[in-house]
Amino acid sequence: MAVLEISQLKKTYPGGELALKGVDVSVDAQEVVVLLGLSGSGKSTLLRCVNRLVEPDSGKIILDGVDITSLDKRALRKTRRSMGMIFQEFNLIDRLSVLENVLSGTLGTTSTLRGIFRAFQQEDIQRALALCERVGIIDHIRKRADQLSGGQRQRVGIARALMQHPKILLVDEPTSALDPKIGREVMDLLTEVARELKIPMLVSVHDIFLAKNYSDRIVGLQGGEKIFDRPTRSIETEELDQIYHEAG
Amino acid sequence: MTGVAITGNPLRDPKKIARKYFAIAVFAAIILYIGKVIIVDGTDWARMGSVSEVIDTMLFFVPDFSFFPATVVPLLETLLIAFWGTALAVVFSLPIAYLAARNITPFPWITYPLGRCLIILSRSTHEIIFALIYISALGLGPLPGILALASRSLGFLAKTTSEAIENVNKGPIEAMEAVGASRATIFFFGVMPQIFPIFVGNVIFQLDINIRRASILGLVGGGGIGLMFAEVMQNLQYDRAGMIVVGITTMVVLGEFISNRIRQRIV
Amino acid sequence: MTAITDQAYTEYKDADRRANIIKFVAAFLFIVFGFWSVEVLNIPIERLLGMFGRLGFMISENLFPPTMSYVMEQRVLDSIIETVQMSVLGATIGTLITVPLAWFAAWNVTPSRSFLYPVARGIIVVTRGMPTLMWAMVLVAIFGFGPFAGMLALVKETIGFAGKLMAESVESIDMKRVEAIKATGANEFDVLFFAVIPQVWATWVGIIIYNWDAQLRNSTILGFVGAGGMGLYLREQISILEYHTAMAIIVVIIGLVVLSETVSHHLRRRLY
Repeated sequence: MAVLEISQLKKTYPGGELALKGVDVSVDAQEVVVLLGLSGSGKSTLLRCVNRLVEPDSGKIILDGVDITSLDKRALRKTRRSMGMIFQEFNLIDRLSVLENVLSGTLGTTSTLRGIFRAFQQEDIQRALALCERVGIIDHIRKRADQLSGGQRQRVGIARALMQHPKILLVDEPTSALDPKIGREVMDLLTEVARELKIPMLVSVHDIFLAKNYSDRIVGLQGGEKIFDRPTRSIETEELDQIYHEAG
Repeated sequence: MTGVAITGNPLRDPKKIARKYFAIAVFAAIILYIGKVIIVDGTDWARMGSVSEVIDTMLFFVPDFSFFPATVVPLLETLLIAFWGTALAVVFSLPIAYLAARNITPFPWITYPLGRCLIILSRSTHEIIFALIYISALGLGPLPGILALASRSLGFLAKTTSEAIENVNKGPIEAMEAVGASRATIFFFGVMPQIFPIFVGNVIFQLDINIRRASILGLVGGGGIGLMFAEVMQNLQYDRAGMIVVGITTMVVLGEFISNRIRQRIV
Repeated sequence: MTAITDQAYTEYKDADRRANIIKFVAAFLFIVFGFWSVEVLNIPIERLLGMFGRLGFMISENLFPPTMSYVMEQRVLDSIIETVQMSVLGATIGTLITVPLAWFAAWNVTPSRSFLYPVARGIIVVTRGMPTLMWAMVLVAIFGFGPFAGMLALVKETIGFAGKLMAESVESIDMKRVEAIKATGANEFDVLFFAVIPQVWATWVGIIIYNWDAQLRNSTILGFVGAGGMGLYLREQISILEYHTAMAIIVVIIGLVVLSETVSHHLRRRLY
């Protein structure tokens, strides 16, 4: 039973650029699906259409039975709470502490007033601390987010996304801004935790190694179109190389 | 060496230079004309007296330092007026900055021009004019002075804050949208932390300027040392006037020094 | 929850509690400060709350509609022209004085760090600190009513306003280019003209334009204390309680200022 079902997603940017030409992707429960493609292949756009940070022109997106494309603003806000997003540039709030950043994951459910005065619920605080420990940043919780290294910042991003009890994780090139070694550590952590908590993930990457080693299924994108969609086990790295470079 | 022969000096294009000198000549002529109008015609040289008389008048202003104690309370009043005027400006500048920021203004066709207009009005109207307007409705006293300062300051604060908002990094805002936060929360978590240092720096800057502004509000009845200054001037007690000028200038200079230090530490 | 998380949690709660105490105390002190201010300033709080509702009405009754025809009277028109002339003259003379002063007041290029620098800096700082209208009143007492005093006041304003900005822009130039010229054996003036001025020229022109605009704003109000310009009629009309005509002058003042700012804004845009 697919948790996320994307069908015939189309998006053209105002400048005329055709970003998505009718793409179908589905993610099953507890599956890690990788979107593999070069820059401009449409993978970032696809991810952002799922939580409608980018509005798709046409197509359907169904998350756990709910048609996201037809939601009004308020309902959309509510649904976004169940989709955790992790960003390439981390998108942390630099001046705030690590703990505050992790807690900001609850801002969808915390009332505005509570948020402004940082009067978070006790259980949220405890959960945030537990997550900080799990991702390995418990020693830095009081530091300002911009005092952390890249790898540490992404861990904060991961903790923040997990605070939402998400039904799915949307991960946009999580390691592109990191050194390869750190990147692999982050991917290890991410996939470990996702499997532990049984959360499916849709991850966009442009690195074949990451695609091959961290996913259950690989979806290849090129020029806004899906060029292949196969279980990772069934592909050899050399094959990926070929398909990838032929198409790209 | 082959090539085009260079005649004359390539750094000195005769046409450009002629135009430049012409413009300077026109400008100088205008200035001289104005100088004649204002200095020669418009000034009552007879009443001014001779140079020595003028110097005598200047010497009257040598400060009478024994007058200082009497100035303490009014100076304090001036400080308070400056403080509360700035505080009020801070409160009102935030919503106006929200309206005047292209990227987050709620109804771009209406609220953005409205915000911009309020800012322009605030920055173009001298605080004395604001004070006169508020005094006509509220009577004399420090309150219209405070309101006048607030009205004058909020333009600058709103303008700089709205510009900071327009230049804000989109990443954190995206993250807050992705989390499902409300508009207000997105503003407080995505935008505010980014503009906070700039905002505080500008508030301190305005606070310092407002001390200077508050001191003259008393001239029209807005409270503070201005009233005392007008009195002593009227009574021709120029040495006391000199004392007041020294007092307020010292306060402002000190304030500028302190405010610079604090602003450095914030950034 | 693990032991580490437990400890982190208690640490967090303690820090939170401490922060809250500090916030409460600060808020409390602020409120006390507010009450004290109301006392010291004799603000009639009781009348205040009633007043605000009527504020809008009172203002519109008293001041609107402005009697714009008043502005068309010859003497008023003359004063408007005088205002502009005064501002241009004051700003220009002021700029001429400020240019060498800014040079002296710039730490990196001043010819004399022990004497000229502190004196020049001191002059700029003190002229900035003096409130404009007070100084204008002093000048009027010395030099008599009229635009002469006003012009001198604007010269002082220019020194403070443009002086600081110009000195700062000089201090931010690239010193390596200055060293390069010095190394050729050039004297102070050559250094100034070949190394310093080319770097600050664009900024300085922008400052000069900005200054003209700022002095025009100041000049509109100088007449209020008798230093020339249209401010005189503002005072006159207010003193005879003719608020509608006073409002007319205010409208013209605001109009002039907005015009001046727009022009200066666009001129400075074109520079860059």
